[in-house]
Amino acid sequence: MFRLLVVRDLKVRYAGSALGWLWSVLDPLLMAAVYWFVFTVVLDQSLGLSPYIVFLLAALLPWTWFNGAVTDTARALRVDEKLVRSTNVHREVWVLRLVASKGIEYLCSLPVLALFAVLYQAELHWQVVLLPLAFVLQCTLLAGIGLLLAPLVVLVRDLERVVRIVLRLWFYVTPVIYGSVDIPEAYQAVFALNPLTGIFSLYRGTFFPGEVDWALVGISAVESLAVLLIGWAVFARLERTVLKEI
Amino acid sequence: MHPVATDGPIITVEDAGISFSTGKRHRSAREFLFTGSRGQQVRQFWALRDVSFEVDAGETIGVVGANGQGKSTLLKLIAGVLLPDRGRVDVRGGVAPLIEITGGFVGDLSVRENIRLTAGLHGMTRAEIDARFDEIVDFAEIEDFLDAPYKHLSSGMKVRVAFAVVSRLEEPILLVDEVLAVGDAAFRKKCYARIEEMTRGGTTLFVVSHNEADLRRFCGRGIYLAKGGLVFDGPMEEALERYGSDSGLLR
Repeated sequence: MFRLLVVRDLKVRYAGSALGWLWSVLDPLLMAAVYWFVFTVVLDQSLGLSPYIVFLLAALLPWTWFNGAVTDTARALRVDEKLVRSTNVHREVWVLRLVASKGIEYLCSLPVLALFAVLYQAELHWQVVLLPLAFVLQCTLLAGIGLLLAPLVVLVRDLERVVRIVLRLWFYVTPVIYGSVDIPEAYQAVFALNPLTGIFSLYRGTFFPGEVDWALVGISAVESLAVLLIGWAVFARLERTVLKEI
Repeated sequence: MHPVATDGPIITVEDAGISFSTGKRHRSAREFLFTGSRGQQVRQFWALRDVSFEVDAGETIGVVGANGQGKSTLLKLIAGVLLPDRGRVDVRGGVAPLIEITGGFVGDLSVRENIRLTAGLHGMTRAEIDARFDEIVDFAEIEDFLDAPYKHLSSGMKVRVAFAVVSRLEEPILLVDEVLAVGDAAFRKKCYARIEEMTRGGTTLFVVSHNEADLRRFCGRGIYLAKGGLVFDGPMEEALERYGSDSGLLR
């Protein structure tokens, strides 16, 4: 059932477009090209580590997944209300399947990172084995956020807009276009509370082993798990009410 | 047919109740923040209240009552797409719901993909879908449009495809909510034949309809709902009489 819905999402996403599945690689590639142009050709900046485009993409691609999954899971029950209303499956599935389908799109975008890594001869370190951990942590966090937001958005529709604004802010308070080294000393404790800081440090470890910070990862893991538990509880509590509203 | 426990009722509804708020459907954040809508009295309306009955496997049940008396809500509770606020609704065995049947279809995907997806969503395995695919296509008379996007079908065709899929689920319980009213005469005849074939084969049937002829044809037992309560539960003919005389009085 779960797999079926994930496949459905991916099919719907590319239905009717001429290039179809190719877009899952083409899209991040073109995005990367834009960022490459802006941050290495136009702007002369000193953020992050070198090669900067690899440093950027290592966090930007998972951010794209995060951003897309939060936006979509928040609307999951509202957009597919007809389906939710007519099929009796575990209602959590409507949310979780989006985390998975967006995650698969992220995996499809990894060749783009590999391409730039080869072009810029970035050195691969053993920390590449930490990628699955980062992936699992991000899935946990996203599942929690999705389960929390999806029922709330049905009940208070304005939340959908709030989510979009918060995501925009969240992008800038997360080390994506900059690295944890660029964060001023005074703010480091605040940034450490952002669960994405630890998760993204793991992603970057593949090419920049110094980025991995186990204290941050620990905070991320605890927070992600807590968010998942809260999300699960809220979802279970609101399920009855939500079914009446959609 | 999926295995069903043979002892005891297949559906148990016990003191089931469900309430909806009759206030504004969507609370806006503005109201929430500035007028404090939390303090406002939200009126509750019980769509169903203290409803109890049991259904044995193979029974055919027609639900009657005027509009807004809880008929469709009852069907949704049995389908599991609504949850009771009070009491319990136990359904042992799978349900094939002919409720909002075109809901799960995606306009941009082809008819072929839609058939596979919807069948899968309602619990059919891949092997079962393969085995029944041709049957479904034949029944819906949709061979020539298999690769067309679903959105290009006429509304009659859409319902035909949906009915074909859901009626091939081979679940022990079939729920029908007014869908018999759609489609042309020829297709309706086919649907009737299919439903009769299923009930003869032992499928438990639940029908909500305003068509007395349909109810008499398919149902042995009638449930009459008024104001969310169960007024009568017995032979279909009697249920129709009770409903008829009550609504006659109202007029």
